Amino acid sequence: MEAESSTSNQQRKRKRSVSDTPDKPAQSTWRTDKEHRLYSSKLLEALRRVRSGSTLPRTEPPRSRAIREAADRALAISARGRSRWSRAILSSRSIRLKSNRIRFPVPSRPNRTELVRNQVADREKKKSVVLQRKARVLGRLVPGCKKLSFPILLEEASDYIKALEMQVKAMSALTEILSMIGGGTEGVPGPVQESGADTSTTSTGINSLPPPA
Amino acid sequence: MSSWRSRSQQSNSSRISDEQINDLVSKLQMLLPETRIRNNDRVSSAKVLQETCNYIKNLHREVDDLSERLAELLETTDMSSSQAAIIRSLFM
Repeated sequence: MEAESSTSNQQRKRKRSVSDTPDKPAQSTWRTDKEHRLYSSKLLEALRRVRSGSTLPRTEPPRSRAIREAADRALAISARGRSRWSRAILSSRSIRLKSNRIRFPVPSRPNRTELVRNQVADREKKKSVVLQRKARVLGRLVPGCKKLSFPILLEEASDYIKALEMQVKAMSALTEILSMIGGGTEGVPGPVQESGADTSTTSTGINSLPPPA
Repeated sequence: MSSWRSRSQQSNSSRISDEQINDLVSKLQMLLPETRIRNNDRVSSAKVLQETCNYIKNLHREVDDLSERLAELLETTDMSSSQAAIIRSLFM
C-alpha cells in the first residue's frame, strides 16, 4: 500500500505541474477539471484511510458519518483556506454539527418600535426583517457563517454551493466506479450529464469521466 | 446582523446599499438551478434566499446519501491494488 501511495503521489505531482493553468478568477473555481481531479484524489486518500483505520464494529451510521466527515474535510482542504466555511470545517471537526444545532432563541422582530414610527419605510423594514431571518437560516447552513454580514454571507454561500456541487459530482462518480467494480454491471451509463445539480437519485448524478491516463 | 439595523436607522456604521444586496442576490440566483430557468426579474430576494437554503439542504442530503452508499460499497468491495490503480487512473 505504501508503494502505491508514493507512486500515486508522484503521479499526482506530475499531473499537477502538467495541468497547471493560469490563475482563474474566483468565480470559476470548483468547476474546473483540475479542481475536480484534486478533490477526487484527496477524497480517495481520505476514504482509503477510513477503510484501513476502521476497527470499529460494522455498524452503518458511524461508517457513513465517517465518510461524510472525510469528504467534507477533503473539500475544505481543497479550498486552500480561501473561504470561511472551509476554515470552519477544518477547525471544528471534533465539535461537529451536533453542537451547531443547539438553538438559542433568536428574536424574530427586533425593530417593532421602528415599524410603528415610520410608515413610509414600513414596507422596506418588513422586507429587511424577512430577509434578515432568511439570511440567518442560511448562516446556520453554511459552516462557520452564523454571524457574518450579509454580503460576506452571500459570498460564502455561493462558494459553498459550488463546492458542494463538485463534492456531489465526485462522490457520485466514485460510487458509480465502485459499484461497477464490485457489482460488475455493464459499462458506464450512456447519457453523460453536465448538470451541476441533480436532486434526483444519486446514480444519475454522474459527470463525464476523464479518459484513462 | 447589526449592519442591517444600522442601515435602517440611517446611522454611519457600515451601510449596505440596496443595489449591493440586489447584485449579490442576483449572483446567488445564477447558481440556483431552478431560478436560473425562470425569468430573473420576477424573483424576489427573499425567494432567492429561501431557494438557496433549500438547495444547500438538498445538497447536504445528497452528500449524506452518497456517504451511505460509499460506506456500503467500501465494505463489500475488496479493493485490490489493481482496482485501486484503475480508480486512480479514471479520476486523474
